[in-house]
Amino acid sequence: MVAGPSKRRARHLAFVPYGAFLAVFLGWPGFYVFRSAFAASGAERSPMIEAVTGQFRGSFVYSLQLSFISSLIGLLIGSAVAIALVRLQHVRGLRNVVVGYSSVAANMGGIPLAFAFLAAFGMQGLATRLLREVNIDLIGWGFRISDFWGIVLVYLYFQIPLMTLVLVPALDGLRRTWHEAAQSLGASSRQYWQMVAFPILLPAILGGFLLLVANAFAAYATAFALSSGGSRLVPVQIRFFLQGDTITGKTNLGYALAAWMVIITTALVIGFQLLARRAERWRR
Amino acid sequence: MTRGITFRDVRKTFGATVALTNFDVTVHEGELITLLGPSGCGKSTALRIAAGFEVADSGDILIGDSSVIALPPSKRGIGMVFQNYSLFPHLTVRENLEFGMRVRRVSRAQRATRVDELLQLVRLSGLADRYPHQVSGGQQQRVALARALAVEPRVLLLDEPLSALDATVRVEVRDEIRRIQRESGIATVFVTHDQEEALAISDRICVMRDGRAEQVGTPQAVYRYPATSFVARFVGKVNDLEVELRSSTTVSLRGHAMEIEVPSTTLSVGEARLLIRPEDVRLVAAGDPRALPGTIENLHFGGATTSVEVFITGTGQSIQISDVTRAMNFGVGEEVGVRFDTDRALVIRS
Amino acid sequence: MRLSRALWWIVLVIAAVFYLVPMLAMARFAFQRIPVIKLAPDNIFSKWTIEPLLNTFADPDFRQAALLSVLLAVATAVATAVLLVPTMVAAHLHSPRARKLIEVSAVLPFVVPAIALVVGFAGAFRNTVPFFIRNPVGLVPLYMITALPFTHRTLENGLATLDLRTLVNASRSLGAGWVRTMVLVIAPNIRASIATASFLAFTVVLGEFTIASLLLKNTLPLYLAYAQGQNPQGSFALGLVLVVLSTVFVALSNRFARSVTT
Repeated sequence: MVAGPSKRRARHLAFVPYGAFLAVFLGWPGFYVFRSAFAASGAERSPMIEAVTGQFRGSFVYSLQLSFISSLIGLLIGSAVAIALVRLQHVRGLRNVVVGYSSVAANMGGIPLAFAFLAAFGMQGLATRLLREVNIDLIGWGFRISDFWGIVLVYLYFQIPLMTLVLVPALDGLRRTWHEAAQSLGASSRQYWQMVAFPILLPAILGGFLLLVANAFAAYATAFALSSGGSRLVPVQIRFFLQGDTITGKTNLGYALAAWMVIITTALVIGFQLLARRAERWRR
Repeated sequence: MTRGITFRDVRKTFGATVALTNFDVTVHEGELITLLGPSGCGKSTALRIAAGFEVADSGDILIGDSSVIALPPSKRGIGMVFQNYSLFPHLTVRENLEFGMRVRRVSRAQRATRVDELLQLVRLSGLADRYPHQVSGGQQQRVALARALAVEPRVLLLDEPLSALDATVRVEVRDEIRRIQRESGIATVFVTHDQEEALAISDRICVMRDGRAEQVGTPQAVYRYPATSFVARFVGKVNDLEVELRSSTTVSLRGHAMEIEVPSTTLSVGEARLLIRPEDVRLVAAGDPRALPGTIENLHFGGATTSVEVFITGTGQSIQISDVTRAMNFGVGEEVGVRFDTDRALVIRS
Repeated sequence: MRLSRALWWIVLVIAAVFYLVPMLAMARFAFQRIPVIKLAPDNIFSKWTIEPLLNTFADPDFRQAALLSVLLAVATAVATAVLLVPTMVAAHLHSPRARKLIEVSAVLPFVVPAIALVVGFAGAFRNTVPFFIRNPVGLVPLYMITALPFTHRTLENGLATLDLRTLVNASRSLGAGWVRTMVLVIAPNIRASIATASFLAFTVVLGEFTIASLLLKNTLPLYLAYAQGQNPQGSFALGLVLVVLSTVFVALSNRFARSVTT
């Protein structure tokens, strides 16, 4: 049905609310962040530069380290759980329970999660106390839930299920016939995984990893509730600069930090898209 | 027999269901045997046990002259083609063909030569660098066949390789498979539910039902001399008539006095059924004293042959007749005579 | 095979322990009136009470925060459906390119972390439309944006299974206008997706802290954080309740989703 010019205009009208919505509530704030980040503030150098030097550079490194490490460990363990589900798929209900709880845990974040880990592994934590009974003195060894590895542990709580949720459908997509064909051609289990399963799963794995990294990088509430260690994270520092303008004249720095966050996340997304596309060559 | 496969008294149950029992078949080198039967008859189970993807409850599988029942699929020296999703989607045609060789660490130069050979064998030389999703279903299966042959298996196993293909492509690929199998001389087990396929390409057919082999024989033998009514009905078309067995060599249709001669049977007199193929019944002019009278109900023109449905007067039964079109000079509604050529007919109990 | 299967069970068991321990610890801290130091095998089962939780429920601040959060969650869910469904239907009917465009745009929020979004929002609107900053209703569009990648995917899955053009043509040819078509014909067919998307929006809102915190709105997650000082056991108990609630939500939405795809 060929639409006349008025009909076409009417059709395009349908997209206006959505477009306007995105422009006003996503585009404009984004624009504002970047504009403020690049605005001269009278200081010697551009906030954008200052935001990635000195102590702030350390913040970004810290944030990225936290994101990548928690994502890497989350990738390994989450994959193990997903594979376990596939290997044990004959157990009725197991998959539903695990996937179901993964959905909850993956979205869990923020305050309740921090509370839970404080209650478990904090100085007065239940697990800390129980482990002391078997001569494992976490506190004595210097473990603090608010330090780097403590936060990694907490982040794993939602990183692992997130990876599982991404990988389970991908593993479903691995056809049984491919495995059998590989076997009939003489491949051992290891060769099958190396030459068939892993290459096919690679796009999903990369995509999942990206999801985890972006997720961890943007996380704020959990670290905030765990305090001390959290204050070195970029999101927390942005808040510090922009909450009620505690330090005047430095707000542009806060915006610059936010702008860099957007740039880094964008770079991550593009980087992984490119990698995934390469790994997925055979699909087009 | 150095290269061939033998099923020896194989039995397999899944819980309470008996999938396969007393299964004894030998496939010789160079021979193509088809396991033919309706779904659930055990043909795929038998194939998968031969391949090693299922484990039999009892019995043995011999490839060459040695038992392979204890070996995993990767060590049996088999080549297998599946119904669909045979090819690895992330590898090109060339890389798919190389797979078995890479697993065995064959050198690159040797691989290249062999791949070219194989592509020529299946006549797909131009497609080496395409991905599976870029070639047609029929081409995919041909590549799958070539891939299975790449490592020179002792036995070739094909699990309904044509079932997922379009009807038009099926015949073409089917003939390719047969040609390649003949050229390579490899013992082959072919599984299908399509009796036409089976008749067309097999050296021997094993008709299966409920986990057992009902009959094993050449296509001609299975078609012309079916051992049971199941085989008669499953392979080709057959008329199933209610008759009265008058003596060990005569029957008559119920409602008609005329006696028809049949091959000698050991069944006792009484109610029985006559199984006779459409091409063994002939139409003659009405009033022929040696024929049963009837009326033509339906005519299906099929090009070279025509199929006719005739209602036999007084018996309440219809019969299907198939003959060359030239011999059919009748129209619908006409009165005709029906004559039986019962040399290959089957008489069974009701 | 026996050995490898056992291995995978071990993986799951270890994961299960990792997931239960913090929850159990939280429950213990919230509901048992014994400091960790004083715990001993003989008093593990004593002094359990739900009093801290009741105290929380009685707190007027809590009630206010809970009410606000629920209202925001409902508003977000409804607004998302109202905005997205017509837009996505239009895109499906228009062209595959439009569909793709909407899909890409729905992933954009992903690239803008919540913290960046909210500071940009606050800065942009402060001098122009301060209403959105003062009034909690301003949180709704931000929440919609946060949930967009997930709600869009859910609705997309639902719409993809329909033969939209046929439905619309049939409805229009029978005289129904666009609104009627949308409400009476399309929406019921993607009921499950809308429900799932709404549940997702709900979960996002109930757990969202960053945006509310920076805009100083007293939602439930904020109450959790700040009540910790006065009534630590109570706030931990509340946290546990929220987790249980989310689990119920997810289970419900999965049940719903499955009932339509079958």
